[in-house]
Amino acid sequence: MNKLSYVIKNTFINMRRNPLLVVATVLAVLVSSFLVFTTLSGRAVVENNTSRWQNGVHVVIFLDDRVTTTAHKQLQESLESYPEVRMVDYFTKDEAAEEFKILFKDQPELVQEVDFDILPSSLRVNLNNPSDYTLIIERMEGNPAVKEIRASGEAIERLLSLTNTLVLAATVFAILIAFAAFILIINTLRLTAFAKRKEIKVMKLIGASSTYIRLPFMFEAIFESLLGTSIAVGLGWGLIQYSKDSVVAESIFDITISDTYLINLTLGLILTSIIFGFFASYVGIRKALNE
Amino acid sequence: MIKLENVSLVFQGGSVALSNISTEIKEGDFVYLIGHSGSGKSSFLKLLYRDMYPTKGIIDVVDMEVSSLPKWKIPVLRRKLGIVTQEPQLLEDRTTFENISFALEVLGYDAAEIDAKTSTLIDLVELQDNAYKFPYQLSGGEQTRVAIARALASNPLVLLCDEPTGNLDPDLSIQIVSLLEKINRAGTTILMATHDSSIVNRRKKRVLELSDGKLIRDESEGTYV
Repeated sequence: MNKLSYVIKNTFINMRRNPLLVVATVLAVLVSSFLVFTTLSGRAVVENNTSRWQNGVHVVIFLDDRVTTTAHKQLQESLESYPEVRMVDYFTKDEAAEEFKILFKDQPELVQEVDFDILPSSLRVNLNNPSDYTLIIERMEGNPAVKEIRASGEAIERLLSLTNTLVLAATVFAILIAFAAFILIINTLRLTAFAKRKEIKVMKLIGASSTYIRLPFMFEAIFESLLGTSIAVGLGWGLIQYSKDSVVAESIFDITISDTYLINLTLGLILTSIIFGFFASYVGIRKALNE
Repeated sequence: MIKLENVSLVFQGGSVALSNISTEIKEGDFVYLIGHSGSGKSSFLKLLYRDMYPTKGIIDVVDMEVSSLPKWKIPVLRRKLGIVTQEPQLLEDRTTFENISFALEVLGYDAAEIDAKTSTLIDLVELQDNAYKFPYQLSGGEQTRVAIARALASNPLVLLCDEPTGNLDPDLSIQIVSLLEKINRAGTTILMATHDSSIVNRRKKRVLELSDGKLIRDESEGTYV
């Protein structure tokens, strides 16, 4: 008990010696953890959304209205016979007009201006594997009943590719900042150890174990690392909550992310910060202990 | 209590600090380790508390084979020894009381024990009037007394003193040696390195003399020749 109080007391005495370095360290850990938290959360949001889109319509085949509806039906049957196709919906011109009115309900002037007759009927194709959209395009091209083909797969692929690039860039950036935080912690501990070199020497002469001498430094590093990560995670949760109610969430993205995912991410980051602090203290104090 | 068999210490680069030393110090002995500066006295003591590692030979201290002691057992060895260096190594921001209680705190005593034992140690080294003074307010002799009290915190079986009177005038040196004799009478084995002839000649005790790393004399009631 006495040893524990010694360790805790000395942890805070050490931190009081270099307050600016402690603040810098906490900030570096905070930025790094915040980047990791928001990046991974953001990726989860994108994956949730794209997954929803991927479960929806993958290829829209706009039909030439000059061709008979019988030809449209034949095309639908032909599409339904493909093994890659899960389902085909025939969307009439009227249904297209209704959809347009819903999509642009906030722009009544536009709805009034549009001649709904130009909206073509279409076949909306749902695939077993969204990436097979190219096969459908290949087979439908040149068909006289087809006016135009649009595939959502391409857009999804582009979005996922962009997301992955952003995640990679943010991860590299987070690692660089984490490395800076690591060096800052080591530097802070080395300065403290230098200031306390006589105390460390006396402790070694008296018969204190290396672990005992190391503990206040280890607690300091873990405390700084945990503090930075906790603030970052708190800010991250706040940001997600704010985004859920934001304009972006209403218009493009559905900011849904499961609590289980967020809790696991939080626990993972906190555990990582403890391990991070432990290693930083190990490296930071090693030289002082071996002198 | 302390036994060395054919111990040598050669530094990197080949300079010989100690050469083929064999000797034994029994429980309750008071031994002076003498020799000129650079003769190997400090290296001899550092080998005993495993601050250095012998190139050759076997060292046995308080029933622990120091020469093959794993690193994690060094603190166990040092808790059985009291170590006083030439520089008292006091913590400048702490009073006499705190410097001594710090050692007890590190050794894991509880608060009540720390207070009681610190007071006892302060009485032993006769620093009652200086208990709440900082090191810069103490004389050299008083600082050495604090260092001795701190070294005694772990109730050591052996007190290793590396020129504790090196920076003191003759009167203060004699006071320190008298204190060490008092501690020795209570049963603690003492090995004191010194090159102060007046101390050694004052009371004839066992003398180990080193010269160029070799043990050239071992007399039970020796003087500084």
